[in-house]
Amino acid sequence: MKRHNDGTPFIVPSLILIALITIYPAVYALYLSVHRKLPIFGISRFTGLDNYLFLVGDERFWNAFRNTLYFTVVSVTLELVLGLAIAVLLDKAFRMRGIVRAIVLVPWAIPTVVSAKMWEWMYNSDFGILNYLMGTDINWLGSPFWALNGAVFMDVWKTTPFVAILLMAGLQVIPRELYKAARVDGAGSLDIFRRITLPLLKPVILVVLTFRTLDAFRIFDAVYVLTGGGPANTTETLSIYAYKMLFQTLQFGYGSTLAIMVFLCVGMISLFYARLLRGGIAE
Amino acid sequence: MGTRSTIFIAAITLLCLLLFIGCSERKRPTEEAARSVIVFKHGKISGDPSIFRTILDRFESENPEISVREETLPASTDEQHQFYTLNLEGGASDFDVLSMDVIWVPEFARAGWIRDLSHLVSEQERSDFFPGPMEAVTYKGRMYAVPWYIDAGVLYYRKDFLDKYGFSPPRTWNGLVEAAQHITNREKDLYGYIWQGKQYEGLVCNVLEFFWGNGGDVLKEDRVVIDSRENMEAAAFMRNLIESGITPPLVTTAMEEPTRHIFGNGRALFMRNWPYVWNIYNAEGSPLRGRVGIAPLPSFPGKKPISTLGGWQLGVNRFSRNHEAAEKLVRFLSSPDVQKTAALTIGYKPTRRSVYQDAELRAMQPFIVSLHDIFMKARPRPVSPYYMMMTQVMQPEFSAIISGIRSPEAALASTRRQIEHILEADR
Amino acid sequence: MKRPAHFAMLLLLCAFCLGPLLWQLVTSLKPNEILTTLPPILPDRLTLDHYISVLAERSFVKCMANSAGVAAMTTGLSLCIGSLCAFALAKLRTPFKAAVLGFVLSASMFPPIATVSPLYLIIRGVGLRDTLWALVLTYTSFSLPLSIWILTNFFRQIPDEIHRAARVDGCSPFQCFYRIMLPLSLPGLFTTAILVFIFSWNEFLFALTFTATEASRTVPVAIALFPGVHEIPWGEIAAASVTVTLPLIVVVFAFQKRIVAGLTAGAVKG
Repeated sequence: MKRHNDGTPFIVPSLILIALITIYPAVYALYLSVHRKLPIFGISRFTGLDNYLFLVGDERFWNAFRNTLYFTVVSVTLELVLGLAIAVLLDKAFRMRGIVRAIVLVPWAIPTVVSAKMWEWMYNSDFGILNYLMGTDINWLGSPFWALNGAVFMDVWKTTPFVAILLMAGLQVIPRELYKAARVDGAGSLDIFRRITLPLLKPVILVVLTFRTLDAFRIFDAVYVLTGGGPANTTETLSIYAYKMLFQTLQFGYGSTLAIMVFLCVGMISLFYARLLRGGIAE
Repeated sequence: MGTRSTIFIAAITLLCLLLFIGCSERKRPTEEAARSVIVFKHGKISGDPSIFRTILDRFESENPEISVREETLPASTDEQHQFYTLNLEGGASDFDVLSMDVIWVPEFARAGWIRDLSHLVSEQERSDFFPGPMEAVTYKGRMYAVPWYIDAGVLYYRKDFLDKYGFSPPRTWNGLVEAAQHITNREKDLYGYIWQGKQYEGLVCNVLEFFWGNGGDVLKEDRVVIDSRENMEAAAFMRNLIESGITPPLVTTAMEEPTRHIFGNGRALFMRNWPYVWNIYNAEGSPLRGRVGIAPLPSFPGKKPISTLGGWQLGVNRFSRNHEAAEKLVRFLSSPDVQKTAALTIGYKPTRRSVYQDAELRAMQPFIVSLHDIFMKARPRPVSPYYMMMTQVMQPEFSAIISGIRSPEAALASTRRQIEHILEADR
Repeated sequence: MKRPAHFAMLLLLCAFCLGPLLWQLVTSLKPNEILTTLPPILPDRLTLDHYISVLAERSFVKCMANSAGVAAMTTGLSLCIGSLCAFALAKLRTPFKAAVLGFVLSASMFPPIATVSPLYLIIRGVGLRDTLWALVLTYTSFSLPLSIWILTNFFRQIPDEIHRAARVDGCSPFQCFYRIMLPLSLPGLFTTAILVFIFSWNEFLFALTFTATEASRTVPVAIALFPGVHEIPWGEIAAASVTVTLPLIVVVFAFQKRIVAGLTAGAVKG
């Protein structure tokens, strides 16, 4: 009877597919990261941990790391809070709920190739709609402070729907009886939210936090189109730095080292989340 | 039971995958009876794609044994560079002729990705090409690409405003500043001078025009001279344009199209941009029709004005399996006759000087012909296999200068150190 | 929450989400000469030129068909394979659950720009370059981590008694999954479907790298092909982005109906 309960056959197709697409590139990147490889100059030699040692002293790496960290922390926090608010707002059924839900997903649905360019033009201080509506004259993408925050705001706009829809679904599976019973016991809305909703949402929040952090930490396209990493590399993220190393200057070794660093950072963050929200999924 | 079903499922999964792969169409150039197929990989060509196809059809009728297939890449220079490095590093032979940005040729040549094409253009013929592109495609004395079409930075000005206040198109930067200050004080809602200052390749094009216009340069015979006095003056001048208000700060985020729109909305007096904008401003229904003039960029007193060279070059993939046919296509596309056709139908500016004498071209496209002298003075960015690394160093430093984040002295000194480091790294 | 406050917040929410798209819509209807003129916000004359230019091109419509096909296949495959895996992780005895989840997650930890190069070499090596299957395969693998994590979570929320009761009744694990688990987890399934569909529809980097001609080109690559060397036909791009977002909204609207409460609540009693 116990044997019949074995889940291994069920997970095999997933594992094979994921392994195929992940293992080779990961091993390849690891391999390249311990080489000094500049194909243009025919250089390809094993250098051990040299790239990693260089990275530790690389000011540009730390600059990109700080930018990426700031971007990730601020945008994920904002998205979580906003997403939760939206999910709660749309939890109870009302007449146009279906349409509103569809509208809420619009930012997530707009193609990224368009969305970043669209924001770039909206942020333009001459013909951009933002300055026009607000009556201001701020050079959004040209000021080191506003550029990074502008990128954060754009990302929050675009990906809050992702958070919202997952939390919406999470809210929907909480049995309604729990709410009714709590109200009968005299609990207020805030109490219910803190004592019933949030704890039961913890697993979904773990999923949301993990995946949003993964994506935010690896952000490339949106910021690259918006600012190119500028002004003066003040919005350069780790992925942009890695991209420039790999595809512009063709330093495949060091570019791969940067990619592995991103992988390690993200891995550590995921472990941290799993600890924090212990017992989330796999107890 | 558990292990058996596991193995079973694993086998089915792998079988499905193999079937997917086996049943999908394979893209291999079809071999018809006597025709060999070559693939021409290029960035998106403006306008109706069938116009260029007509040109290729003409090639096919002149060379019945060759068939040309086009594959389009996005126009973005970054994306094309990404494509080529990905493929050529892996020794791909699925394209034969490629179109290269003017700054890649030494890099690709050094990497051994493109064929030596010196035999395609004889010594006398070489003088028919503009000197700028010729310099850009030559590496260690050999030609690795043939210039296809050319581009260079130019100054646009509002003819109506200059006429109204009695100014002629400025020859010096001080002249431009003087005219801009005078006119913008009297007309409302007008920026003085707009250019491209976002942190990207276009910024380097703009900055080098100022440097060269003051007699400075990046490299002088393998020595790095980017922190020369001339360059520091020119850089300070650029920053001063923004601080004094002649140039709005938004320039530090602008690429070609935003500046084109701002000037096109009538909100700027002078603009630096590429020639492509001219036709847009003079199209029917454009509010600026007839009110815009073009001139060479100004320079600093006593120095000659120099534009940054743009444009694209044709090369042959070293891993191509049909390089003779590929070379024929390159010769065809760069021939005077086809360059003239391309100028008339697509608007590509020819790289051969003789084409600018053609009567029909002079009649139908006087604008292109008028650019001849500017193209003669167009200089390529440093022609070096290290250029891509150098520009990655220059872009953030130049951006720091014009944004006021760093002083010209500090930024240029840092640039010089980094470029020297790059040039040494290979030894 | 009070009705007027609720309504006001909804309005704010809709404005926030729809604002930029509406601005794109306005831009797409402006003739080129006044494309970036501000004021006025609403132009005095409108034109359909941009839409005509975009839709008349047969290749753009083909690209939309490609995108739809790839997205549909990816969603289907990802849900099938992912839900099986999630079921095993949530309800069955599977060895090393945490390790499996961790491994699955690690697939999403690499920056895509680092993986595009070796993956491209594989795809080219097996002759899948410029085919839709290359994209389906890649996207399915990329969306599996998200699918598995979301669905595992939703399956876990279904009470164990249901599963045990079914097994006592003689169902095999697969029947249990198919007859009981799936219907009870519709909110999770449809949420995952929406997210995977949109991800697949909008993915750009791999679509650009793996495709060469319109045989397998998808919408984001088609849009990236609008600009010329310097010119950006913003009117056409705005029209294209509106055209391309609308089908997605329809799909989302259809799917979101299934994200409703009350499916698991009654199950235990029954």
